[in-house]
Amino acid sequence: MNVYLKNTLRFCIIILLQVLILNKITLRWWSEPSGFPVFIPYVYPLFILLLPFETPVWALLIMGFILGTTVDSFMNTAGMHACATVLIAYLRTNVLSALLPRNLSEYAGQHPSIRSMGWMPFLVYSAFLIVLHHFVFFTIELWSLSNFGFLLLKIVASSITSMLFIVVYLLLFTRQSTSRI
Amino acid sequence: MQIHKDVRNFILFIRRFFNLILFLLLEIICIVLIERTNTLQGNDIVSSANMVSGIIYKKQSDVVYYFGLRKMNDSLLNENARLRRQIDEVRTLDTLKDSLVHRKINPIDSSSHIVRYADYIYRTARVINNSTTASDNYITLDRGSKDGISKNMAVISGTGIVGRVEHVSPHYSSVLSILSSKQKVSAKLKDGTNGYIIWDEKQPDVLIMTDVPQQARVKKGDSVYTAIFSIFSPDILIGTVLKTETVKKNAMQLIYLQSSTNFHKLQYVYVIENKMMVEKKQLEDSTGKK
Repeated sequence: MNVYLKNTLRFCIIILLQVLILNKITLRWWSEPSGFPVFIPYVYPLFILLLPFETPVWALLIMGFILGTTVDSFMNTAGMHACATVLIAYLRTNVLSALLPRNLSEYAGQHPSIRSMGWMPFLVYSAFLIVLHHFVFFTIELWSLSNFGFLLLKIVASSITSMLFIVVYLLLFTRQSTSRI
Repeated sequence: MQIHKDVRNFILFIRRFFNLILFLLLEIICIVLIERTNTLQGNDIVSSANMVSGIIYKKQSDVVYYFGLRKMNDSLLNENARLRRQIDEVRTLDTLKDSLVHRKINPIDSSSHIVRYADYIYRTARVINNSTTASDNYITLDRGSKDGISKNMAVISGTGIVGRVEHVSPHYSSVLSILSSKQKVSAKLKDGTNGYIIWDEKQPDVLIMTDVPQQARVKKGDSVYTAIFSIFSPDILIGTVLKTETVKKNAMQLIYLQSSTNFHKLQYVYVIENKMMVEKKQLEDSTGKK
């Protein structure tokens, strides 16, 4: 399948998945009166994470902005998601070149995945960017350091659940490698 | 020649740092967008009242709607029962037993000549999107300006208050719910003590009433209603008291309320239009300027 078509499709699927399903389920780990925050997992940054290796940074930035504002317009957050997503889009190339053994230009025609990078590097790569995204997003959303513990709790809990959902998404939507010889 | 060189240097500079400049530019746009929502005017571009997200939410709501019909039926029955009880409080005579009795309806205080009950228009709307986890929660309704809804109208559910209309498009509108750090609602206790309702951003069912003087006696389970000078029509239930807490600094009480509206399962709401609101607002603005 064409790379452009594939990524457009993935964009739509991820947005719909995020907005129509994940935004509706509110998770809580313990009973509510204990003060543990309610949260929803954010899976949509995965679109940025899965773009092909050779995507130039400016394209990443613009796509991150479009993705962020789309999610914003659905969730009435006006720029908060866009801000966090543009940041991770900017840092993606640096993180990738730090993690991968070879130069990025040698991975032509591939995109970051468990198959092309291996389990551990991919998890480190996605976890780092997801935690960064959540950190920025929740800091902007709460915009006060008065209850720092609450903020931290929200970031950690939300990042862990998002990572779980991302792994589930990857296991569901990547084609099993049958022709690996 | 010098200018030529400068321009060339400038272009080289841009090309060298193009990514960084683009990144900073986009971040600045985001920050401006975030800043603009903190003003009351808000931005209508990035909100769920726009056409595309409105239609998608509507489609989803059409599917999910049927699963909640039973609960909705129950809540409507409860509301009917409550309204019937209220009618009975006004109409004290037993009309079943002696139907021939005619009774004049006396106004509650006979000195007032103003007809107050026609001030409010109630419109029904369906909730097509709903959030409880963000620090400013919004609800999307399937009615917009073509159905007579405009900004700053109050929104209530069958059991209590919900919020205030913030963005309107022709067919959809988005409501800032009271689960938000951005708005305060004036409230009163049963004995008439006034205060403000805020949300502590942690639990979607718990509201806090502040500015209550310490001498007000509050017990667990007491009801809190909207005050007459809020945008809501008066005497709408907000919640029941969970616990109270004294602030030593200014000798005021904090009252924790269990919200009477279940924000997790909101399905239909009433949008209240206050016909006197424009007049009242004009008067208040004109006095405020002087």
